Amino acid sequence: MGHHTEVQIREEKFIFTGKAKRFTFILMGIGLLLAMLGYFTYHPSEHELVLKRLLANILVDGYFFFIIATCAIVFVAISQLSNAGWYVAVRRVPEAISEFMPYGAAIVLVIVTLCLFFLHGGIYHWMHDGVMETDPTLMKKTWYLNKPFFFIRIVLFPAFWIWSAMMIRKYSRNEDIVGGIVNFDKQFKLSAAFMIVFAFTFSMFVWDIMMSIDAHWYSTIYTIYNFATGWVSAFTLIYLMVWYLRSNGYLNIVTDEHMHDLGKFMFAFSVFWTYMWVAQFLLIWYANIPEEVAYYDHRLWGSYKFYFYFNLVMNFAVPFFFFMKRSFKRNRNIGMFVGTCMLIGHWNDVYLLVMPGAMNLAGQITEHNPTGIIDTPAQGVGFMEIGFLALFAGAFLYVVLNALTKANLYPTKHPYIMESALHDTGI
Amino acid sequence: MDSNKLLLGVYDNPDTVLEATENLIKGGYDIKDVYTPFAVHGLDRVMGVKRTRLSTAAFVFAMLGIASALSLMIYTSVFDWQMNIGGKPSFHIPTYIPITFELGILFTAFGMVSCFFIVNKMFWGRNTDVIDIRVTDDMFVIAVNIHGQTDVKALENSLISNGAIEVKERIYEI
Repeated sequence: MGHHTEVQIREEKFIFTGKAKRFTFILMGIGLLLAMLGYFTYHPSEHELVLKRLLANILVDGYFFFIIATCAIVFVAISQLSNAGWYVAVRRVPEAISEFMPYGAAIVLVIVTLCLFFLHGGIYHWMHDGVMETDPTLMKKTWYLNKPFFFIRIVLFPAFWIWSAMMIRKYSRNEDIVGGIVNFDKQFKLSAAFMIVFAFTFSMFVWDIMMSIDAHWYSTIYTIYNFATGWVSAFTLIYLMVWYLRSNGYLNIVTDEHMHDLGKFMFAFSVFWTYMWVAQFLLIWYANIPEEVAYYDHRLWGSYKFYFYFNLVMNFAVPFFFFMKRSFKRNRNIGMFVGTCMLIGHWNDVYLLVMPGAMNLAGQITEHNPTGIIDTPAQGVGFMEIGFLALFAGAFLYVVLNALTKANLYPTKHPYIMESALHDTGI
Repeated sequence: MDSNKLLLGVYDNPDTVLEATENLIKGGYDIKDVYTPFAVHGLDRVMGVKRTRLSTAAFVFAMLGIASALSLMIYTSVFDWQMNIGGKPSFHIPTYIPITFELGILFTAFGMVSCFFIVNKMFWGRNTDVIDIRVTDDMFVIAVNIHGQTDVKALENSLISNGAIEVKERIYEI
């Protein structure tokens, strides 16, 4: 590194080799096999439970990969708005990741539509017939939690994000051909609009998809907590993808300096995630109000205890202690290890958001059971969970790697490309 | 006090100063320091500056903060004066998280700032001997140590040929 280093901006294209393709297909195949194995090993008498577990699993993975893809384009938009220069060299990676958005949104939409209109509620307790009319707590929420309004939100919000992501990608790719500042300005304006709308709509999207699983309960910090999960996972995925590309000889202008900065983001937002996690947990734990504590009941003291602590170890302890050191953020093997741990950890986080509420069965509202919810003990992470995770990870990788082939691996005519190529975090 | 004879080359361009520093080091001169109004990328690598140990100090201060927060809270709420707050146990880690976190940050921040001021000998009432007042505005200065055997004439030529707009000699007290 010095000012004498020759920087060559060249048009690089990613080649999606047969080997990589085969890997994604094998991942998908194994995933499907395991998921089916998990599904059919259930006893037929437990058909309600197995259906819920199936829906919940697809929702966990669909939602997890969807928020990663969304947060990837949010990263591009924020960097664009803050006039960042360093990220330009790795910018095409989050752009490619965001191409999974339509698929993720479609999966979430299908699950929600099935629960809304065909399965009498499915994993969402409030959608069951008659619940909103008879439950005194939920009756007050009818103005917001009703089927038509819910459905409109679930369709409109992701549609706008997907459109914004598509346009940002389009402008960015257009820039490689025409150059100049026109596309940069267009992206700037679109990013500003996107960020404002996203901030509000993402809040509602998270309440709808995730928080309404436990409709009796609410937390005001829930949205930012969900955003932190998606945001830090998006950084982790970008970091891992860039290592993968670099070790295959791509991205000649990306140096350890960029990895260091991405690593810093992973470290910082892991702590941010933990902060949000503690902020939500601590107040509820301390206030000890029954209707709020009910949420942590199965998670902290019940059958989800292991996943609860596993969550903290993987998402806080591992990145905090490994990525505190500068040289570890720049080391490929340690980076890969920490990144993988964090992705597994955040998948576990989403699993923990969905499962305890989704697996509960609906019962009669009585004096002893004012919510009418019958708790189901944890079903654990079995074939079905691992299978669906592998299936979705394979599909996700296929979409993202395929998207990488569509444009140059870094924007060659971006106004800040030289600044990014010469990026230096100092000694 | 230790005093030192220096030859200063004044430059008006960050790229020139980077180039000049590299050439002077190649020429075997003993560069005391390069003074710039802002951070010049790559200069630290060219000069072979060692990485700061401030981050290690920060870690130590953070640990100190965490230890003092925990010991104060555990001493007061477990040993000295137990109180019953909503029937919660006296010794329970979640209660201690916020204050531990805050004191960890407080000690780190104050510790690092104090450390920085002490290492750079910046105290109240001390008049700093600025190498050349223009480095606080728009000029760059390369300060080269002059030893007994240094060929001052050659050094002067070397500074000028590398783009210095002015060369001057001065005594600098450490």
